[in-house]
Amino acid sequence: MRRRTVLLVLAALAAALGAGAALSASPSVTITTPKTNQKVSLHQAPYTAVAGTAGFAATTASTTRFYLRRDGCGTSSDNPHLSVTSGTDAGDGCGLVVDQVGPVGDAAPQATFTDYPASNGMPLAFDGAQPVNGQISLTGAQVGLAEVDVTLEALVGGNAVDLGSASGSAVLDPTAASTPVPFTIQPNTSLDGLDVQALDLRVNIHGPNVYSGFVALSGASWVDLPSHAASTNKNVLVSVDDETFANATPARLSGSTWSVAIPTPSVGKHTIYAESKQGYTTSAPASVTVTVTK
Amino acid sequence: MRKLVILLALGVLTLFGGATSAGATTLGHHPLYMPNANNMTNPTLQPPPVCCAPTGPPVAGEPAPVNMAYFGGHVQVTPVIYLVFWGWGQAGAFDHTTAGMPTNDPDGAAARMTAFVKAMGGTAWAGSQTQYYETVNGQNINIQNPTNVFGGVWYDDTNPIHNNVTGQELAQEAQRAVAHFGVTDLKNSQFVIAQPQMYNEAGFVSGAGYCAWHDYTQPQYYPGVQPGISFTNMPYVLNSGSSCGENSVNTGYFAGRLDGFTIVMGHEIEETITDPGAEDVINGVNLGGWYDYAAYENGDKCAWVGYTLGVAPPNTVPGGLNNITGNDGKQYPVQSLWSNSSAGGAGWCAGAGDDLPVTG
Repeated sequence: MRRRTVLLVLAALAAALGAGAALSASPSVTITTPKTNQKVSLHQAPYTAVAGTAGFAATTASTTRFYLRRDGCGTSSDNPHLSVTSGTDAGDGCGLVVDQVGPVGDAAPQATFTDYPASNGMPLAFDGAQPVNGQISLTGAQVGLAEVDVTLEALVGGNAVDLGSASGSAVLDPTAASTPVPFTIQPNTSLDGLDVQALDLRVNIHGPNVYSGFVALSGASWVDLPSHAASTNKNVLVSVDDETFANATPARLSGSTWSVAIPTPSVGKHTIYAESKQGYTTSAPASVTVTVTK
Repeated sequence: MRKLVILLALGVLTLFGGATSAGATTLGHHPLYMPNANNMTNPTLQPPPVCCAPTGPPVAGEPAPVNMAYFGGHVQVTPVIYLVFWGWGQAGAFDHTTAGMPTNDPDGAAARMTAFVKAMGGTAWAGSQTQYYETVNGQNINIQNPTNVFGGVWYDDTNPIHNNVTGQELAQEAQRAVAHFGVTDLKNSQFVIAQPQMYNEAGFVSGAGYCAWHDYTQPQYYPGVQPGISFTNMPYVLNSGSSCGENSVNTGYFAGRLDGFTIVMGHEIEETITDPGAEDVINGVNLGGWYDYAAYENGDKCAWVGYTLGVAPPNTVPGGLNNITGNDGKQYPVQSLWSNSSAGGAGWCAGAGDDLPVTG
């Protein structure tokens, strides 16, 4: 009877372990060693092994499409922005973006640009191994060559990070509803895995024969960001008697298990906490109480 | 503006050189505003005239000429700067959150301001002001440039803030900060009362045209408030966008988003160091430190120099807005500060790393 119970518990644990990383929607953590209310001898064990399991959301590669959108036309609430959802834009056909007064030959494009900061879709786990593709569609422009410069900038850890720039061009077709100008940004591979907090696409349109025009919206202009379904940055922290993890010890993570050796605390009762992090998401803490003896 | 005490200037004042105390009487008093980039010549935002000076407001984007003089008040010889983030953790203080950023600082503005105050000590920018002094018993005591001017930071979520706070309420918060930090040396201390996105000082909210101001508590102007506190009204300048410096030095959307915070706060901090008495004249005694005869302080005279709102980089103009390297090795955008000794003694805006070739 007793053996059967043990076997059942082991089976349940194995199932839980197997479920760990791949099936979690958000980080989770357990402490399997030491057991709660376990006694630890300071004399015999100056260091205490702490171990457990951690679950993380899947980091499947994907692409997130951000549409260029504008809420109004010539008001203080125009709010050009990026959004992961598309729809009819009240500001479509509005917001002159080409350099009207550029010098002959457009040797020095005007410093006129429009920023499209992301209003949603954040945070985003950036996949820097893949190119960023997009298109800026132009409408209402005159015939001729139009050049589009785009710069993609992110906020990561509170700091600005340049994800890359690109230029595209197209000969405008005044008979078409809009003319797409495709672009591709090849990011530096060192940017792979960045946890993007905020994003901005800066668009500058110019050309030797272009004197007017707008960015076509309502789904016609967009940028595809290669991304992971969840952050690839994962870790587990362990803390003794401090649920704020102010001076936590990082654990070694191996798949869905983790372990670390911490100095055995002083004689008395202590609580060991653990938490797992995936990007900017933190699990609920797990804890066990141990009693340290001489 | 708020304080309607008018001190009548009667009689003609003698104009002194920069090396001597320049006795003067102000015609009126209000906080010393830093106009935004679109309101540099707005007459309502100019300092109260000292007397008789025929100079008008500075030309937008250019330094205001004429050297500063010493008006007899104290300066902050060993400045200590205290930051108060009033109500930043209060409900409704921000209309947004940013993943991975504290909810009480979703844009990183408080972190940037704190880092800047910690990093400004010992820089050449702050050092450009060591030429100024106070005179005590006939001895000139120059301003120092210690490496550490950071006094502390207080996130005050206990005393409720609201939108359209008054100058009186800011002064009261400054007084609470004095008590919170246990400050006894008011003469060398200053308090920056920084406000969160949704709760700001009334004049800033109304679009009066300034980015910030500094002042000095005196019973006539701030009744019931402990006298002698130098404090800065530091609104959430990002609300004013490029007119208060957003992207004025660093052009990336995020790279330059917080530029205005260090430019505007740096302006007020350095003005307070050289003129903590804020040009007050009380019972005929001038409490002001250093400013010119149009009442422009070291920051006013160099505000927004070179700034063309994005057409050209400001640091291509000598004394233009620029990044400096803080004592932590990081870059901080600032405006330059008036230096009487620059340009061979004619004076120019200095310290931002784009000085005139001849600095005197």
